[in-house]
Amino acid sequence: MLVQDIRYALRSFRRAPGFTLVALFTLALGIGGTTAIFSIVDGVVLRPLPYNDSSRILQLVRAAPNGNRDSFSSADYRDLKKDATTLSAVAGYRSDIVDLTGRSEPVRITGMQTTAGFFDVFDAPPLLGRTYHEAIDKPGAAIAVISEAIWKQQFGGNPSVIGTQVRLNGTPTEIIGVVPDWVRHPQKSDAWMLAPGDVPTSPFGIDTGNNSRDVHYFSAVGRVARERQVADARQQLKAIGDRLAHDYKNNAGTAIDGRPLAASMVADVRTAMLVLLAAVGFVLLIACANVGGLLIARGAARRRELAVRTALGAGRGRLMQQLLTESVVLALAGGALGLLVASWTLQLLIAVAPENLPRLADVALDWRIALFAFGATIVVGMLFGLMPALQSSKPELNADLKDGGRTGTSRTGMRNVMVVAQVALALVLLIGAGLMLTSFARLRSVNPGFRTTELVTVELMLPLVRYDEAAQRRFYMGVLERLRTDPVTAQSAMLFPFPFGGGNAQAGLQIVGQPPKPPEQEVSAELYSVSPGYLRASGVRLIEGRDFNESDGPNSPPVALISEATRKEFGGKNPIGEKIDMGDPVTVIGIVSDTRRRSLDAPLQAAVYLPYTQFVLPYMGAVVRTDRGAGAVAGAVKTAVNQIDPDLPIGDLKTMEQIIDESTGEPRFRSFLIASFALLALVLAAVGVYGLISFTVTQRVPEIGVRLALGASPRQVFAQVIGQGLQLAVIGVVLGLITAAAAATLVSGLLFDTSATDPVIYASLAVLLLAMAVLACYVPARRAMRVDPMTALRSE
Amino acid sequence: MIRLQNIEKSYRHGLSQTFVLRRVNAEIKQGDFVSIMGPSGAGKSTLLHILGMHDSAWTGEFWLHDDPIHQLSAKDRMRLQKQHVGFVFQSYHLLDNLTVYENIDLPLSYRDVKKAEREGMVADILDRFNIVGKKDLFPNQLSGGQQQLVAIARAVVAKPSLILADEPTGNLHSDQGKEIMELFRRLNEAGTTIVQVTHSKENASYGKRVINLKDGWIVDEN
Repeated sequence: MLVQDIRYALRSFRRAPGFTLVALFTLALGIGGTTAIFSIVDGVVLRPLPYNDSSRILQLVRAAPNGNRDSFSSADYRDLKKDATTLSAVAGYRSDIVDLTGRSEPVRITGMQTTAGFFDVFDAPPLLGRTYHEAIDKPGAAIAVISEAIWKQQFGGNPSVIGTQVRLNGTPTEIIGVVPDWVRHPQKSDAWMLAPGDVPTSPFGIDTGNNSRDVHYFSAVGRVARERQVADARQQLKAIGDRLAHDYKNNAGTAIDGRPLAASMVADVRTAMLVLLAAVGFVLLIACANVGGLLIARGAARRRELAVRTALGAGRGRLMQQLLTESVVLALAGGALGLLVASWTLQLLIAVAPENLPRLADVALDWRIALFAFGATIVVGMLFGLMPALQSSKPELNADLKDGGRTGTSRTGMRNVMVVAQVALALVLLIGAGLMLTSFARLRSVNPGFRTTELVTVELMLPLVRYDEAAQRRFYMGVLERLRTDPVTAQSAMLFPFPFGGGNAQAGLQIVGQPPKPPEQEVSAELYSVSPGYLRASGVRLIEGRDFNESDGPNSPPVALISEATRKEFGGKNPIGEKIDMGDPVTVIGIVSDTRRRSLDAPLQAAVYLPYTQFVLPYMGAVVRTDRGAGAVAGAVKTAVNQIDPDLPIGDLKTMEQIIDESTGEPRFRSFLIASFALLALVLAAVGVYGLISFTVTQRVPEIGVRLALGASPRQVFAQVIGQGLQLAVIGVVLGLITAAAAATLVSGLLFDTSATDPVIYASLAVLLLAMAVLACYVPARRAMRVDPMTALRSE
Repeated sequence: MIRLQNIEKSYRHGLSQTFVLRRVNAEIKQGDFVSIMGPSGAGKSTLLHILGMHDSAWTGEFWLHDDPIHQLSAKDRMRLQKQHVGFVFQSYHLLDNLTVYENIDLPLSYRDVKKAEREGMVADILDRFNIVGKKDLFPNQLSGGQQQLVAIARAVVAKPSLILADEPTGNLHSDQGKEIMELFRRLNEAGTTIVQVTHSKENASYGKRVINLKDGWIVDEN
């Protein structure tokens, strides 16, 4: 019976190509879009990490008193490792820029310096060789594990790489294993090196053997022991955190927690991803409502057929089965096309997705996604098929057989509901898109406080093994001197950290002469290390005092510039000439305009600029003001670096526009997606309104004929048809406004400087949707105006 | 076979009530060939649909064989309808998407007849009605007479004891109409009870009895 129903269904679709094409197109867009977004949400948020028993891996998180995430100090880490008996393995790690030499060209890769337990936590079988483990590898062994990508790129995929000696940041190191590409923690790591001690070495060159609690510089992960529960481990970690906060003054107000790694990795984007999934779900619902509307119209046109079937003995269940079979067949065909659409859409989405979207590499169309698409298809088939089937399977036999289903105004009720639902859902999406786009536009219009054009940045990180503090200073000064002799790079400066780059140095702001503040009131200042000329090159304004100059050398009195936002910390005094306690007292010589460092939406913080001769770090880079483009700068920087250290590759070279684009990549991505969905929803809703009104006009031709014959003017008929559509649209708009306002809290966390209930956005998009509804009614209304009463009445 | 007692059907319009059928009493015996006649709006088709159990909103008593239809549930009525009744419509009402074969097969499929058995029954009907050569055609490839022939074939394929026909020749020209009426006569002679609604005295002459309706009342019965 089912086979027969399927055969009839296929045949009936072939015989109604217009309906079939519109329905398939709508479903393919709905199912395809949903599947593509689901595959991203699945890859990024839902899919378990690929490590063995990955739910037991915890990111160990240390929270500073202000709630910000902070790194671990060596002493706290050691205490935690000793006391965390619920964890079977704990590892500390920090990322490092690594120069891979000892082969032909020096290559700069992203490396991780980890303690020996790293691969006990990340339990993953290697592709080749072995990984290191706490039980067998003692700290200090010069061994490393490399990624599959680096193995292929740098070693041609040669299996004999195992046992090879290379120089990593100048240290001879043996490659003991290659791990598959899916092992990547944190993102983009190419090599994992065993730390020389039981904690990673400090990037600041500070001896970590002293068990310091002051310098926080590395991250930690742990694996919950097999016989213990994750909740127990988290409770124990909290208790350890409380004890450390209680026992050590430096830790006052801090806390420790263990967050499941998968959730921790995507914490920043989780809400955005779920909002996107909900948005595309709305599109799918609109598509369902649309096809449901089409099916109801079709059902109305098929009333004679259904009445005949009933007269021939078909029960209601039998008719329902046939109608539902038709909708599921339609949905399956739409789903198959949807998979195709999903595959294309996914390629497009991955291409436009921001690089820093976590776990993007895990996104793929696989059997899970196919299963989702299949499930979605069946549900969708049932969803859009059920209402029409329920309605159509109850024919009014006598009447239906007589008039062949020509009149049917009483049956437009359910279509009205569908259209109202479409309009409401479309408005919710439009408002979501309006809010996101407004927020994004406001974010992009934030003045970062520095020049955003004609500014090129080049990372010039130095391996600590070869560069002590004095060597670092010599290197950066030497490079800057050479750059300034080249006309292309004449306006250059050195800087750490680059804005929005993730680099960070902070210190508690203690003004000499003021009493120390309690921990919860302590102000933390962002530290910058800059060369003379930085302000001019980057467009940061000197408000008061003087800029650094060549006379502020390593041995001259320590000096600092402060930002405008820092001024208030001086208790009303003029900061110029005051001293800040940075270990040694540092004299404030100038005040500069505020700049943003972490992101455009992060609040302004106190900032202290120190001269690079007095506060040098091996992670500095050059900032070049030029109108000659990044390419010209690359050559000049390479030449300058090469003259000082031929073994040193230069790091990433980016324009400031690129940096800002990347920093706003995630909100741009989600705004782009929601705007696309909203546009699609708008079109689908317009098609829905058009379909209903067009159908109603066709049904009402005789009635319109009578009205015209009785003296109604075409204009009145036109107004009546537009009014009918508009009435539904208004109901939909009201429901949409209520729903959007109710859902506002869901998106408010994703918005910058934009209220989730902004009345201007709500009102303007409601008007847009109503205008669309009028437009969609226009063509059928014109058709109604042109009804010839004679013809209409004759057909009656 | 059929006994109707005080059958009434009406529609409510606010406070007023419009009767379509009033106190209809009638008896139709097994093997009868009854024509229901009367002017438009007399209630002919309504009565036919009540007999066909398509309509359940009426009062009175309706006995089919010994089954009290007026007391049965919708499900039981459907069962009896499938068992006993075949329907022929003025506008044929063949399903456009189905071939001749599939149209005839349809009632059997709704009666859960096994596929092999259905094939035999449809083949037999196609042969009896001399339309084997048209079995793969769609309704729009047939003339009106041929379509009605197929519709009657479809009505009788499940071997009903009662055929209800609503103006079966209304859309046909006279030669085709005669052919169809001859077919009904042959079916009746073979034992099938036939009730038809018609405006045509000539068609009524093929039957054995006429029931005349006017404004919902039986005004004459012979």
